[in-house]
Amino acid sequence: MVAPYPAPATRTTAGTGLRVDPGSFRDPTNQVLHVDGQILRGLDPAAAENWRRLAGNDFFARLVAEGKVCGTEPVDPADVPADLVGRWSTVLRHERIPFVSYPYEWSFGMLRDTALLHLEILRAALPAGFTTKDGSAYNLQWRGAEPVFIDVGSFEPVRDGEPWAGYRQFCQTLLYPLLLQAHLGLDFQPWLRSRIDGLEAGQLRGLFGGTRRFRAGVLKHVHLHDTLQARYADTSSGSVRAQLKDAGFSRDLVLATVGSLDRLVRRLDRQPPASHWSGYRETCTYSADDRTAKERFVVEALAGASRPGRVLDLGANDGRYARIAARYAGHVLAVEGDPAVADQLYRQLRADGERRIQPLVMDLADPSPGGGWGSVERASFAARADADAVLALALVHHLAIGRNVPLPAVLDWLVGFLAGAGAAGRLVVEFVHRDDPMAVRLLANKSAGLFPDYRRAEFERLLEQRCVVQHRLELPSGTRTLYLGTPRG
Amino acid sequence: MNLAYLDAGSGSLIVQALVGGVAGVAVAAKLYWRRLTGRFRRQPAPRAAEQSSGGQSAGSQSFGEQD
Repeated sequence: MVAPYPAPATRTTAGTGLRVDPGSFRDPTNQVLHVDGQILRGLDPAAAENWRRLAGNDFFARLVAEGKVCGTEPVDPADVPADLVGRWSTVLRHERIPFVSYPYEWSFGMLRDTALLHLEILRAALPAGFTTKDGSAYNLQWRGAEPVFIDVGSFEPVRDGEPWAGYRQFCQTLLYPLLLQAHLGLDFQPWLRSRIDGLEAGQLRGLFGGTRRFRAGVLKHVHLHDTLQARYADTSSGSVRAQLKDAGFSRDLVLATVGSLDRLVRRLDRQPPASHWSGYRETCTYSADDRTAKERFVVEALAGASRPGRVLDLGANDGRYARIAARYAGHVLAVEGDPAVADQLYRQLRADGERRIQPLVMDLADPSPGGGWGSVERASFAARADADAVLALALVHHLAIGRNVPLPAVLDWLVGFLAGAGAAGRLVVEFVHRDDPMAVRLLANKSAGLFPDYRRAEFERLLEQRCVVQHRLELPSGTRTLYLGTPRG
Repeated sequence: MNLAYLDAGSGSLIVQALVGGVAGVAVAAKLYWRRLTGRFRRQPAPRAAEQSSGGQSAGSQSFGEQD
């Protein structure tokens, strides 16, 4: 598991820059470490031997060259940090992933494409004599809208006659969430967020009763799988492996299983009802003049003196402003609360081969918490999402009115993302006035007088407490104002 | 040497034979046949032990417990 940027609070060796990744402990043969901004992986003697064989294999070099597996190189023994000498037999250095995200922050299309990439890697590895020890969605990350396999420690020589050890994990973290969405129309993200090891066959079985069991993939991968798991619960997997080998299980059969999974995953697609947010930009109150003015404002805010490393576009919708931001920044995180809208954005970005804009599905009033062991195995969004610039366009009213978050808290939260950037940070925020049709609609659903502070003057007072306002612009419609602020030191 | 750090799950291993098409079903059938015949073949052993020691019966065992 490549570690987050920025690093979540975790174990650090005193006096050195060495930090053990809190999400890298399940496989004791290797471990991801952070040393002075580098992502390293320590390998024990057995894992080091696997690496030697893997590194000399064409299939691995090809996958790395195609960008499907993260760039990996051995660290020269003379350059291995002192803290690691003697602890690990070999140390590898990995390419840095722009932003570490988790499957419960991905859209359906993203999860589907990671599943397909995992299977593709396995299909390339098997004929070359390798397999993966596991089959987890957490083995994959993103460079923009392009998935990448990061768990190089997962490769090991295949043992002929054995099925794929990662199949169960693949079902739990990839296939079952996809079945849930494709067949039942349920968003899978909350399920994955609440269960670090994914969904169990038995849990899913309960949802696929009656004729639903005949939907693609359900009978075998859910019902039969669950039945066999229950039936062989007391039989060790070691003895089953030996019996399957004895009965003639072959590498070709593993390939057939992987091929069958690939065909199944390709058949699955989400069929969303028309989301009320889809086409929001077109149907909302923006006039063409407003849009032009807003785009120019964003360009001027980001095209300033220093190029932002990362822009956080909160409430990205169709990604119009994320795309503008990508012209002026190294990396853009396009965070969208509606899974269907985020999925649409992902598919467009993927089709464009976009590698610098990464869509994420997240309810901003309920961002990802820390999860797994010690609540740090998976870092919270707050611990990962630092930025040099934040776009909060048409967002504040949804949080302040729609979700009752006090205005000072909304602004503290927005400025908090810029903590690392300091005075060089840029906050581009839009305030939708009370008389804007969208604000009127939101206010109509709440008791009159519930939000007396939701006024432009009060918003400006609160913003100026936290930021130096560099630029402000009232849009031609007269019901929305844009601000560019830099955090006060 | 088996380097697995993950419990692959016995049922999850067996179901893969059935997912893998005709050849897989043949392997699964063979697996079951061997388990079945293995049970009959193994039955004389506990009887022999019982006779020689006069001790308690090993009793009937499930497939799982035989392994």
